[in-house]
Amino acid sequence: MIDAPGPWGTGPFVLTEGVSLIDSRSDRVVMEPNPTYWNSARRPTVRIVYDNVIGKDEGIKSVAVGDGQVDVVFDLTPDEAKAFPASEHGKVQTKKAKAILTGVFNENRPDSPWRNPEARRALNLAIDRQFVLDEGAHGYGTVIPAFIQPGRYGADPVMKPIPHDPVAARAALDAAGLSGREIVFVASPAWKGVVDAVGACLARVGLSARFVSAKDEPPADFDVKIEWYFDWTPQYPVACVHREFFGKDATLRQGPEDPRFDALYEKLLHTAKEPQQEGVVREVERYIQDEAKALFLFSPFTLFAVSNRVDFVAYDTCMSELAETRIKG
Amino acid sequence: MDAQATGDPGGGQPWGPHNTVTVVDPSPVNWLSITWNTMEEANRVDHDGIGQPSLAESWRWLDGETLELKMRDAVYQDGEPFNASMFKLGFDKVQEWTNPHPPGAFLNFARDVTCEAVDDRTVRMRFPGGDSAALMKLRGMHLPSTRFWNEWGFVDPKTGSAEGHW
Repeated sequence: MIDAPGPWGTGPFVLTEGVSLIDSRSDRVVMEPNPTYWNSARRPTVRIVYDNVIGKDEGIKSVAVGDGQVDVVFDLTPDEAKAFPASEHGKVQTKKAKAILTGVFNENRPDSPWRNPEARRALNLAIDRQFVLDEGAHGYGTVIPAFIQPGRYGADPVMKPIPHDPVAARAALDAAGLSGREIVFVASPAWKGVVDAVGACLARVGLSARFVSAKDEPPADFDVKIEWYFDWTPQYPVACVHREFFGKDATLRQGPEDPRFDALYEKLLHTAKEPQQEGVVREVERYIQDEAKALFLFSPFTLFAVSNRVDFVAYDTCMSELAETRIKG
Repeated sequence: MDAQATGDPGGGQPWGPHNTVTVVDPSPVNWLSITWNTMEEANRVDHDGIGQPSLAESWRWLDGETLELKMRDAVYQDGEPFNASMFKLGFDKVQEWTNPHPPGAFLNFARDVTCEAVDDRTVRMRFPGGDSAALMKLRGMHLPSTRFWNEWGFVDPKTGSAEGHW
């Protein structure tokens, strides 16, 4: 990260004011077009000011009323996007980004029921993913088979989402000794609606759901943690996403290491040629679905509030790269 | 937002509301967006999520362990020319640290990876045993100017270390 403004790079913008670090930001960060940028197709025409004071709520209001303070607000929640008023000044813009919303099973305790793949699969069978997407996230997303969206690098064209089968789910939950249980979900408040919709699905198979905010200390015996994650890589999703959930150095894993996953990852690292490399990525996708390694939900859109005066080009990587963004006219 | 003109974009009209886009980005990785908007790497990912050449205009595997990259003719914002030696400098700098990348060690090059500037435009990287993640790792290897390396070098002024601060 860059600790001071300066003409440090070759990129499309020059950092002329402010800093943005992991733990702090200046009140504003300013980037001006680089007049010597080598890529004429990406040469910016506007100055970018990141306003780090006004906040998301006020920024969204600003776009809606068109007071000129803010042009683009990143990372709206589904509820914020749904609540955006009809406006002649701005709109909600969506992007089918390389992102997932998924549930991580808590397998930390040796006696965790979620160490049993059949139990994990049973919970997956109980989920009507389209219902969860529509009810919990206002339809802002796409149901996908596992972690990779259909059509993307590594997506297996024959893979389908785990089916919604409440009858099979109920039988499998019974077999796993989970009938009638309360399932504790830890999630960001932004995804409470999703947990509520998941709870409605679970009620149909005799379970109940309890939401615990991820802002609080989660109880040690929670069952599932809902995680949003994104892929910024040049066609190497397993290292960025799958590894982060299941790899031996994963930060999101809630359980023991998985030697079978690690072996697949090692295989990928040593498969440089195509199409063999993409074949291994598909193998990883099939493995995590076959083993029901996660509670698969959907791929959420990234959501933005955008002023009508701006032609905003969103990135599938979820990053705020802005070289192509223009002022209309 | 400051609506006042604050500068002169290369001899053109001054900056003001008419040519300024004001953004609110609460993302925890905004720091990386700032880097990717202002610095570059060998390759990048476009708005459709597809890998593209950037400061390397092309690359090819000569064998299972040797990646050859052809560098682009580009100039730093401070006027310094970019060339293969600047790529090698960036590689040498990142290799000085154990775990420089905030996202994690999966972006590290192995300790036995080597990099050679063959000529002004050509770089050869050798990955003993192969590494199919090489291009992903290059996306995280920023290539700033000599002045940046001399003045900052991704070293956190609070800690004096670049670990986790790349």
